[in-house]
Amino acid sequence: MRERLLQLMGVGATITVVSLVMATVGGQAQTTTGKAGAAAKTSPAPKTPWGEPDLQGLWTIERLVPLQRPAGITREFYTEEEIAALDVQRSQKSVFGNAVRQKRGSDADVSGAYNSVFTSQRPTGRRTSMVVDPPDGKTPPMTPGAQERQATFREYQRALVQATDVCKNGDLPGCKSGPPSPRRSEPPPAYPSAGVGPLNRADGPEDRGLSERCMGGGLPDFRGGFTGIHRRIVQSPGVVTIFYDTGQGQGWSRVIPITDRPHLPSQIRQWWGDSRGHWEGDTLVVDVTNFSPKTDFLGSRENLHLVERWTRTGPQMIEAVSTMEDPTTWTRPWTAIQEFNLQDNFRNRIYTEPRCHEGNQGLLGILVGARAVEKAFEAGRGPDPATLCTGSCAGPSAEDQDPLALQ
Amino acid sequence: MRDRFRGSMIAVATATVTAVVMLSVTRTSGQATRPARTVDGKPNFNGIWQAVNEANWDLQAHEARAGAVMQQGVFPYPYVQVPAAPVLALGAAAGVPGSLGVVQGDGQIPYKPEALAKKKENAEHWIDRDPELKCYLPGIPRAMYLPYPFQIVQSTNKIQMVFEFTNAVRIVHLDKVEGPPDDLWMGHSVGHWEGNTLVVNLTNFNDKTWFDRAGNFHSDQLHVVERFTPISSDAIQYEATIEDPQVFTRPWKISMPLYRRLEPNAQLIEYRCQEFVEEFLYGHLRKQQLVKHWEGDTLVVDITRKIPPGEKVYER
Repeated sequence: MRERLLQLMGVGATITVVSLVMATVGGQAQTTTGKAGAAAKTSPAPKTPWGEPDLQGLWTIERLVPLQRPAGITREFYTEEEIAALDVQRSQKSVFGNAVRQKRGSDADVSGAYNSVFTSQRPTGRRTSMVVDPPDGKTPPMTPGAQERQATFREYQRALVQATDVCKNGDLPGCKSGPPSPRRSEPPPAYPSAGVGPLNRADGPEDRGLSERCMGGGLPDFRGGFTGIHRRIVQSPGVVTIFYDTGQGQGWSRVIPITDRPHLPSQIRQWWGDSRGHWEGDTLVVDVTNFSPKTDFLGSRENLHLVERWTRTGPQMIEAVSTMEDPTTWTRPWTAIQEFNLQDNFRNRIYTEPRCHEGNQGLLGILVGARAVEKAFEAGRGPDPATLCTGSCAGPSAEDQDPLALQ
Repeated sequence: MRDRFRGSMIAVATATVTAVVMLSVTRTSGQATRPARTVDGKPNFNGIWQAVNEANWDLQAHEARAGAVMQQGVFPYPYVQVPAAPVLALGAAAGVPGSLGVVQGDGQIPYKPEALAKKKENAEHWIDRDPELKCYLPGIPRAMYLPYPFQIVQSTNKIQMVFEFTNAVRIVHLDKVEGPPDDLWMGHSVGHWEGNTLVVNLTNFNDKTWFDRAGNFHSDQLHVVERFTPISSDAIQYEATIEDPQVFTRPWKISMPLYRRLEPNAQLIEYRCQEFVEEFLYGHLRKQQLVKHWEGDTLVVDITRKIPPGEKVYER
């Protein structure tokens, strides 16, 4: 649902890239996956002409690895047989509703339509989860304070959907039907950020969450396997810059100075924090702080401390290891691994230009529509807006869902 | 007097020496250590840069004026105008500085007659039409002289430029790549070196960006050739030749220095303006208005500036 917005201009490029990836590796899973994941160092890491480790190039994630380990799995890696079986099983399931029809004419069915066109499934990766620490492959328990913050927000979100037809008809798992809530006129308990939006309301742009506002690119970015994911890394002596192609046109560019300078003063808070890099052998270590309280990474906001370790583990592979620490959110730090595969420089298949905002007819349409529905209801010509679904209230049922896509 | 004379003599001597060693010296002040040349022998453009001029207001020569938006027809003579409501309350902070202009040759932009009419119309509808106000990608060459810093990250086969304004980015390919599948706001940049000069050829533009706040515009036939030439280790002469047969009668050229930001702790600070302009773009579509007031999609700027006790002009 977070990717629903019509980001018209980005879509073509994304589809091209995704289908290319699928065409290249789909069906060859058994022979190629052995290389991924193990990341055994076979040759010395390439160096730039000025002698620093060379991370440059166009990189993507070719295989789907869920952030957290699925229930029932206890090992760090799948076997080749398991990967083959999962590829078959997943191809019959859905990411956000693609390939699966809900009851015709229902909001849940319409909600899936966009995503069935603009999303795709990557083949299964060797790792059973990006999370490698804690060793059970799950993000650590949240602190009581963070649990309360999340529960408060969820309760508010639920109040906004309780009067919808989707809820009443039982199309929304776990939804408890009720009359329109007076909370519909309350402000949300926290800024509706990437991890929490959109709300089932469109009183203003903020209700729609960051993705529909074209501000969905965040850090760290563990975005899964259903849209284009690219990193373009360019280096110069003392600087590493990374362009993130993410979220269908919500890309952003990041400059990492290699420096021992202290972080920005704490009153400067940024959407992508403040990055400071240094080299440890062949590894780029980046320390990121100064996040804005408007960000939300799995419940962690301004207190997030991110440490990334980027290592070129082979000519075609970068391993990026991220450690997240926030004592106000998690009971312990945790670590996740992403593996990036080098892409063809000449073909240059990257959606370079993040112009979601420039083409954002979707947000405009949602707000215009919401006002029109209110007007019609006041004039006795249409349904109560509280019974309608415009966010966080439809999607494929659990048994239709790709078992790895949203872990 | 003698001291001053001696001072200026030293200054002249220093300047000469600096000019001689400029392209070989290694400087450690300011940003990271930066040799004048990269390891592959090219001029070293790595660092944070910014234009220091008025080009973003108007590429052409213009005198200063009292406000970015002016009230028309207040006085019977067109050369006397007062600031209009949107900027009036900001006093001298909202004026427009004058400039000698950056258009080379006769200083004229060679519009075709119908295009000139559109330029004038653009200027009259600045607030409604300038993509900068909507936080849209600025395009090239405009990104290079917006009043925000940008960072050049120069590698051997790619040069990435990251702009503070809306986190825009451009990549200059020094190696061979396939072109983009669609037109771009920032164009498709392919570069090569001609001696000390980085020459960048830009194609694949859309027709949505402007050159400045004065309504200077182009079509999707825009073709830009940029030349980056070092003046010193801390300044680049930037030139852009602009060609667009649909809008201009001939190619024309702008030229300006770009200056290195020498602060030792210089770094880009986010200016993620999508968020800043939501009220401007969507405020009229809120359920409850936050800014008073909108009439339909018309923003009515009501200025109430109540001067608090002790702040009146004659009380200071």
